[in-house]
Amino acid sequence: MNAIISLCHFCELHGPKILYCTQPFRPQEPNNLDGDEAEGNISHRLKSTSVTPSPSADIHTSTSFSGCAKDQCEGCKSVQTGFVSHDDEAQVSYVSTQQPYNPEVFARIRQACIRSLSSEVCPGREGPIFFGDKQCGHVLSYTFYVPDSQARGMHRWYSIMIVMMDKIYLLNSWPFLVPHMRIVIENLQNKAQKVYNQEEAKCPQRPLRLGARVDPSNFIKQRGGTKPARSLQELTGDKNVFRMLHVAFLWILKSCGNRITETLLEGPPTEDTIIDMEKQEETEEGFIKIYMRKVGEFDAIESEANSDKTSVEKKEPSKDSETEMDIISGPVIKNLRHLRMILGSSSFLSLAHHVVVGNQVIVSGHQRSLVTSILNSLKGLLPKGCCRVVPYSTEYVESYKCNFLGLSPNVLLSQHVILSEQFVHLEIVEKPALSSPKEAATGQGFGWSGPDSDISDADLDGDIRLRDFQFNITTPFTLSSRVPTVLTRMVMALQNKNLSQEVVEAAFTCLKEEWMNKVKVLFKFTKAGGNRSEEDTKKLLQIVGARDEDKQLLKFWMTGLSVQYRTHILSSSVHR
Amino acid sequence: MSFEDDPTGTYVGSFPKGFGYGPEETEIEGATNPGEEKPRILLMGLRRSGKSSIQKVVFHKVSPNETLFLESTNKIVKDDISNSSFVQFQIWDIPGQIDFFDAAFDSEDIFGGCGALIFVIDAQDDYMEALSRLQMVVTRAHKINENIKFEVFIHKVDGLSDDNKIETQRDILQRATDELADAGMDNIRLSFHLTSIYDHSIFEAFSKVVQKLIPQLAILENLLDIVISNSKIEKAFLFDVVSKIYIATDSSPVDMQCYELCCDMIDVVIDMSCIYGARDDGAFDNESAAFIKLNSSTVLFLREVNRHLALLCILREDGCENRGIIEYNFKCFRSAIQEVFVARNKQANKSTGHPQMDHLVNGQIDGTLDSGISSQSNGMLGAAGGHSFLNGSVRRADDDDDDD
Repeated sequence: MNAIISLCHFCELHGPKILYCTQPFRPQEPNNLDGDEAEGNISHRLKSTSVTPSPSADIHTSTSFSGCAKDQCEGCKSVQTGFVSHDDEAQVSYVSTQQPYNPEVFARIRQACIRSLSSEVCPGREGPIFFGDKQCGHVLSYTFYVPDSQARGMHRWYSIMIVMMDKIYLLNSWPFLVPHMRIVIENLQNKAQKVYNQEEAKCPQRPLRLGARVDPSNFIKQRGGTKPARSLQELTGDKNVFRMLHVAFLWILKSCGNRITETLLEGPPTEDTIIDMEKQEETEEGFIKIYMRKVGEFDAIESEANSDKTSVEKKEPSKDSETEMDIISGPVIKNLRHLRMILGSSSFLSLAHHVVVGNQVIVSGHQRSLVTSILNSLKGLLPKGCCRVVPYSTEYVESYKCNFLGLSPNVLLSQHVILSEQFVHLEIVEKPALSSPKEAATGQGFGWSGPDSDISDADLDGDIRLRDFQFNITTPFTLSSRVPTVLTRMVMALQNKNLSQEVVEAAFTCLKEEWMNKVKVLFKFTKAGGNRSEEDTKKLLQIVGARDEDKQLLKFWMTGLSVQYRTHILSSSVHR
Repeated sequence: MSFEDDPTGTYVGSFPKGFGYGPEETEIEGATNPGEEKPRILLMGLRRSGKSSIQKVVFHKVSPNETLFLESTNKIVKDDISNSSFVQFQIWDIPGQIDFFDAAFDSEDIFGGCGALIFVIDAQDDYMEALSRLQMVVTRAHKINENIKFEVFIHKVDGLSDDNKIETQRDILQRATDELADAGMDNIRLSFHLTSIYDHSIFEAFSKVVQKLIPQLAILENLLDIVISNSKIEKAFLFDVVSKIYIATDSSPVDMQCYELCCDMIDVVIDMSCIYGARDDGAFDNESAAFIKLNSSTVLFLREVNRHLALLCILREDGCENRGIIEYNFKCFRSAIQEVFVARNKQANKSTGHPQMDHLVNGQIDGTLDSGISSQSNGMLGAAGGHSFLNGSVRRADDDDDDD
């Protein structure tokens, strides 16, 4: 994280002072000359004398202190040299010194220090506040007191500040930073409280001070003016307090940096990304929770079906891909083009047609990987919101729960399903070793058999294994002969050999987005505007460029609209 | 009272809630104009010179011993004192460790709206550093705002012998004025006060500071003069009851002992009515009156003027024969004071939005008011005449006092 954490205190003699300051240095950072030089000096010096200050350094301290006693007292001093830690992986060095050496940085920190201790008022006096501006940087400051029996008012004021130029980042890190600052502070306060209690037990301050008041001549000598303020080490009774602070500040800087990463988004998010975002919900521990939509329990079922493999909470946003990775063994279908090649163009077209209008697609076969890979490829035809997948199940799942169903082959579809449901069944059968595809085709009653004439031997590795399979498509339901417009365009993209796979995917995204926009118009038209006549709807469809054959598709895709958009439209229509 | 336990007490409110005065008498006071800037009193000085202690003792009724346990002030503490329409100001307690003329602070904002600057010097300490700081503060603040009145409190004099006090004051006065003269700032007038929180000197000094901020002071003094000359009173104070600051007195010189007597009397009256008073919500109301005879043949007399103000008079025993006249004259005085309030509220409404213009307008009104009041106070009864036919009322007043 590109921030500086510093500890400040309000000195009885000198007012607000910077006590200690931890900052990250990156070698690749383009620094101006003097900054670079100073930084080099520090790290060089720190490397040579670092972590354990030698006794000679201590002597040096005391002599120099007497020289500038007016400027610095015991309470304003923290470390003579400082501490440095290198994070070799991230190429960052964390340096803790009493003050930042770069004059520009120093001015900023000093300004923030004065504001934090002497200007800004925190309600309740102890606690976190935020202030700052673009010029001086943004500051998250946590003021607190440390008990000190010698001090006026029996305590002294300290503050821990995090200074950063990025306001949004700093404020977003608030929920992380504040509790961790509090841990550090409580640690300091508890230590100091122990010391305070000991001192108070030895020599209670209240009667001492009151007693001193009785005799006026004594009072002059008793006044604490000549007594130097005590250092934080003395207050906490911990010689290594600044080493502890170095580690604590370093950890805060590092983990806070790991906490939030930025992603650049180009343009407005597509409907698919919104759906993805709605499915994710970040939990406090930084895990991704699977978002449960209230309306349908499809996602719940999805996770149920997977529950043997994965838990509900996990880091990966997409769980299907992971399950798939687990069982990558048998032959797989890589993408739609591949599938089209295997199935042949005409049967692919009818299968795709079933997919885009929302009929349930049942794929059954022994090879789990093959089944799921086919389903995953087919999902590419639909907007994400429309996909409800049960990757592999041992029993039939109704079509209102899922439109992509992977089944093990021994499941038999009951009669009422075959009669009433709109589905298409893709059966994967292992070919008997020597039977020719032609024979297999004649064996089928009312379906198409997948002619494998399209497959050439020069094709991808998996294909050789795929030749051992036969794909039978059966459906009780006949589709209209006309294919929806968007599917024809998609198939055109698939057919075009000049397009690479990436381009095809991009084209699919565009097509889906284009039609989702039409769906949105239709949704708004029907849901928000009250009752519409058949005539009006026809006119509207004409305007958006949809034909009769697209109607069913549009209706189905409407179910895939993001919750965000639905609630927006519905609430705005309520307002009216 | 230990206010260490009360973390918010330092920053908000002016008085503890226990000093509630009962319901607001809006018909007399009128609503305070929110846009109106209250005069500001800055408390400055070196660290540990006693600024926060003064503020705590005078305005928060903190016991002087308790100030030994005050923490050092780390930021400007603003305290609103708005007891009555006359006494309305802000006290800014400024930490001695920080240089507020530094570029990091908006010194224009701090000193621009400031009415008086109190510089506290610790008389028990070596005051050379304090004097150089005083000189710096005075010259810089004067540059920003020419209207600031500078007051120097030579503080903590309770630790010094009487000779030492005089000597210290003389020395500080000499050095401070010399330094200012050297800097070519002889036009600035500094007022010096010897103060200590262990006696009444701090209240007296603060009274003088506050009086300078009251534009109606001349009228009030004039009124008091008329009252005492017509009622055979020796000395009269108009007190702010809670802070025990007197906001006006007659033109005769103030004797410290008289002032202390009056302060003690307020304490007695408030304590008595707290214990035996009929009302729970306040010790001081429009029935409040007291009459104390001392064995030195002196009589102390207290009457409520309004919610926050009381008139305290000191008179010889033989002057009390005509208490009816005093009573009558007091009523005249009270109605005159209320007229001053009314005029003040009017002028507050007339605010032009420009401070200079306001000042002009106010000055005019004060002038006309002055003549009006003097004509009215001619109606007061002279002590010589008329007391024979007022005997009945005197007796009745006596009965009232017995009830008290």
